[in-house]
Amino acid sequence: MDGLLNLWQATGLANLTFPALSMIAVGCGLLYLAIAKGFEPLLLVPIGFGAILTNIPVAALAEPGGLLYYVYYIGIDSGVFPLLIFMGVGALTDFSALIANPRMLLLGAAAQFGIFATLFGAILLNFIPGFEFTLQDASAIAIIGGADGPTAIFLASKLSPELLGAIAVAAYSYMALVPIIQPPIMRLLTSEEERSIAMPQLRPVSKKEKVLFPLMVLALTLLFLPAASPLVGMFCLGNLMRESGVVDRLSNTAQNELINITTIFLGLAVGSKLAADQFLTVETLGILLLGALAFSIGTASGVYMAKVMNRVSSNPINPLVGAAGVSAVPMAARVVNKVGLESNPHNFLLMHAMGPNVAGVLGSAVAAGILLALVG
Amino acid sequence: MEISELLMQAANLMLTGMVGVFIFLSILIFAVKGLSKISASEQSPEQPKVKRKSQRGDTAGVPAAHVAAISAAIAQFRQNN
Repeated sequence: MDGLLNLWQATGLANLTFPALSMIAVGCGLLYLAIAKGFEPLLLVPIGFGAILTNIPVAALAEPGGLLYYVYYIGIDSGVFPLLIFMGVGALTDFSALIANPRMLLLGAAAQFGIFATLFGAILLNFIPGFEFTLQDASAIAIIGGADGPTAIFLASKLSPELLGAIAVAAYSYMALVPIIQPPIMRLLTSEEERSIAMPQLRPVSKKEKVLFPLMVLALTLLFLPAASPLVGMFCLGNLMRESGVVDRLSNTAQNELINITTIFLGLAVGSKLAADQFLTVETLGILLLGALAFSIGTASGVYMAKVMNRVSSNPINPLVGAAGVSAVPMAARVVNKVGLESNPHNFLLMHAMGPNVAGVLGSAVAAGILLALVG
Repeated sequence: MEISELLMQAANLMLTGMVGVFIFLSILIFAVKGLSKISASEQSPEQPKVKRKSQRGDTAGVPAAHVAAISAAIAQFRQNN
């Protein structure tokens, strides 16, 4: 009889608590969004599954000694996984559109206002009882506005590891929702006439410029913002491997196998942070709310900056391309192209939007470096 | 009280952060413009050289035996007609 009782004590049924069950439901929800709705499936499948694994009673996969604990410890606590992914993103990024029209960097900078305004908003939330965000927490939440998963995870792991699960889920969910969040803001802030502005064709960019570009970005980081060098450095390494043309094998590995393997473990490790006691809090609701705010403000400030540049500049600039400054490559650029085509069916803005789009990646890495330097 | 202090710090961070991002990316704009000027000035004198080289290469690339065979064939064709 004792044996039977012990066996019952070892079952999930006897140990299942309501919070753990709710988190398993959250995990299933993420799997549903990924599989049925196609929301960032590459990340939400491992994150959702990781959330389920973490909340299995008795098994304690996310406790010391469990698989997910070690995956988190090795990959995220150390900051290694997001940086490896950033190297892959660098190897996947073509900077031609930005080198041909470097002024687009200003749009990538303007869109980072979403990050810093949200930082202020997160501290404002402290007036509501139940919220106690420190400056570190607020900075980690605000980086959701950078619309860049690896950057958000990297910064959250350094500044506020206990909020990492909610921040990563919010960042990837909103990145998947870019086609829904951005177009209404873009239409609201621009006139039909502005949306149909055609931009002059971009000049071809030489190979030498493409090879020197990552080295130059690295040099500037070295001189002015060494705190951003983990992110920018790995990004530039990936991009140099791509553009140099002499290490195609390494570049292909960084773009495919390495980024895929890292994504599996990164997702699982983020999922391991979706434990009931950390996720089922009023702060998670605040993070989701602030994340949406960050995206919206980033989009709006990018569009406003593009409008100003259009007035000042001799070459016409379609204000829609400013919205691509929030990174979320290449989704934001595609959204710009789609909204532009609605107003002028012959106006393809994709290549023009890729400039601010990749500038946004650099901008959010720089913003993360500034936050690390000032708050970390 | 403490929140207002945090708010001040956040506002400061917002200002310094945005100024920092703009300064860094503006420097990058000038650097990229400089880069394209350098590579454009280096490329323009090079281009005609490359073309000349390739033209020479085209004529020099045909072996003498082939030239002889082709001219013999043309001469034969003219004699026959």
